[in-house]
Amino acid sequence: MSLRAARALTVGYFVLALIFVTWPGLVPFARIRPLVLGLPFSMAWIASWVAGSAVVLYLLDRVEGRHRARPPGRRAEGDPGAGPRGEAGRARLEERD
Amino acid sequence: MERWVVVTVVIAAYLALTLTIGLLAGRRPTHSVAGYVAADRSFGLVVMYFVTGATVFSAFAFLGGPGWAYSRGGAAFYILAYGALGMAPFYWMGPRAAALGRRFGYVTQAQLVVGRFPSRGLSALIAVLSLIAFVPYITLQMRGAGIVIEAVTDGNVPLWLGALISYGIVIVYVLAAGAMAVGWTNVFQGVLMVVIAWSLGLYLPYRLYGGVDEMFERIADARPDLLTPPGLTAAGEPWSWGAYSTFVLVSVVGLMMWPHLFMKAFTARDDDTMRRTVILFPTFQLFLIPVFLIGFAGVLFPGRPPSADFILPFMILETDLPAIIVGLFCAGALSATMSTGDALLHASASVFVEDGVTKFVEMDDRAQRLLMRVIVLLTGAVAYYFALDPGSSLVLLLASAYGIVSQLAPPVVAAMYWKRATTSGVVAGLVWGSGTAMFFYFNPELRPLDMHEGILGLLVHVPVLVLTSLLTQPQDEDHLGGFFS
Repeated sequence: MSLRAARALTVGYFVLALIFVTWPGLVPFARIRPLVLGLPFSMAWIASWVAGSAVVLYLLDRVEGRHRARPPGRRAEGDPGAGPRGEAGRARLEERD
Repeated sequence: MERWVVVTVVIAAYLALTLTIGLLAGRRPTHSVAGYVAADRSFGLVVMYFVTGATVFSAFAFLGGPGWAYSRGGAAFYILAYGALGMAPFYWMGPRAAALGRRFGYVTQAQLVVGRFPSRGLSALIAVLSLIAFVPYITLQMRGAGIVIEAVTDGNVPLWLGALISYGIVIVYVLAAGAMAVGWTNVFQGVLMVVIAWSLGLYLPYRLYGGVDEMFERIADARPDLLTPPGLTAAGEPWSWGAYSTFVLVSVVGLMMWPHLFMKAFTARDDDTMRRTVILFPTFQLFLIPVFLIGFAGVLFPGRPPSADFILPFMILETDLPAIIVGLFCAGALSATMSTGDALLHASASVFVEDGVTKFVEMDDRAQRLLMRVIVLLTGAVAYYFALDPGSSLVLLLASAYGIVSQLAPPVVAAMYWKRATTSGVVAGLVWGSGTAMFFYFNPELRPLDMHEGILGLLVHVPVLVLTSLLTQPQDEDHLGGFFS
């Protein structure tokens, strides 16, 4: 997956998460039953958005990691693309933002 | 032996251990401002994970969380909703801030903003706003520590003494070792918080109701109003969606802007460490689930604590747990308050000196570190004074703190991501945003849709920042080069 797509999907996930844990997205899910793992449905619903964010960030990191060109012996500087460009083909300039 | 004596011994052992860890950590950093404020930028993943978790979740989460679940039901879910959302942008912002920190030697958030928007007034304004937000927060932590100790020792160790001893210890290790001590004690405290919350949160529903399912089935029959967001207000009336949603939103924005949290970006060893901390943070955050379970376990329990915030110690004491477990629980709660309190004390001193004083008075490294230690003591004393005043409505003050802290977001984001932003724009936005937030804080009946004053502040802040910036001279390319290269 390209870096840009991964970032867009991640941002998309968090925008959805915000909508679904507040008004108006939470309204249809603000209910008690069915209990999920013993918890009221709304609580489990919010908790799964939280747990999901760990998964989404992990997947994003795998993509970012692959794109973070890093020649041996140097640590990456702040933002991707700003650092020195090893494996030249990988670090495409348009991915800086 | 009486129960409170055993409990006191366990607490004393916990405090002694914390102090030892804090002082041992203090032998490592260099004697410099970067060493005191940013731990020489040396923290690895395990340390960062627990530092972040233990710092974010304070007495408010550990005592207030069960209190909210107990008295306000689903309203408490907002505390669960915001954490991961607030932390996620740090995946990108953290490494970026850290890179600027390394390049220009920044150790505080205001230095980053003022580095981009040179203005001593702006620096002082951020320092003042941070301190206004910090003091009630520290006070709340101290009071939390005092409440817990007083409750579990059956009043034999009164609030004033419990708060004094626990925070005396915090101050000693913060004075001795700064960020390094805060980091290593937080690892210990973070582990304790997570273990105790999960074990107690699962144990109580089983002990009292035969299981989590059974507990919620019974609450659903007796008090269904408690089990869905937006839950209830403190007075027991239905809470509004407007308030619930904007509480989530302001906490999302505020969370990453708390100076004591943002500064952690400057303490990480490298960017991968920081990114992984962000990825793992939601796993720490889920400890709020058992924390809420503790509060819900109290709903159908016969007997009432003196106030909702006491529900946790109340449940522990009423269920005849062995004294040693009560002591351990207490250590967990103290961990929650102390691990946030130490970071706050440390950050308030760092911010006051780095952003308030040194912008106006020439000081060498040594004098700065000395002054920071004096400020740690002074802030501690002021917060302690307020902590003993039962009349101060601190929870409300803390809610207002988020309103103020969220106003730091536009300047920080503009500094790192928007080239066209100007100093005048940032100052104007900050003044108007904070002014609006304060206005609605003092006039709650005027808030549209019951929205949080911090969000109303941002609704004014952002347009003012953007428009003023566009109407003023852009910053020159040479200056921007350092930030956007």
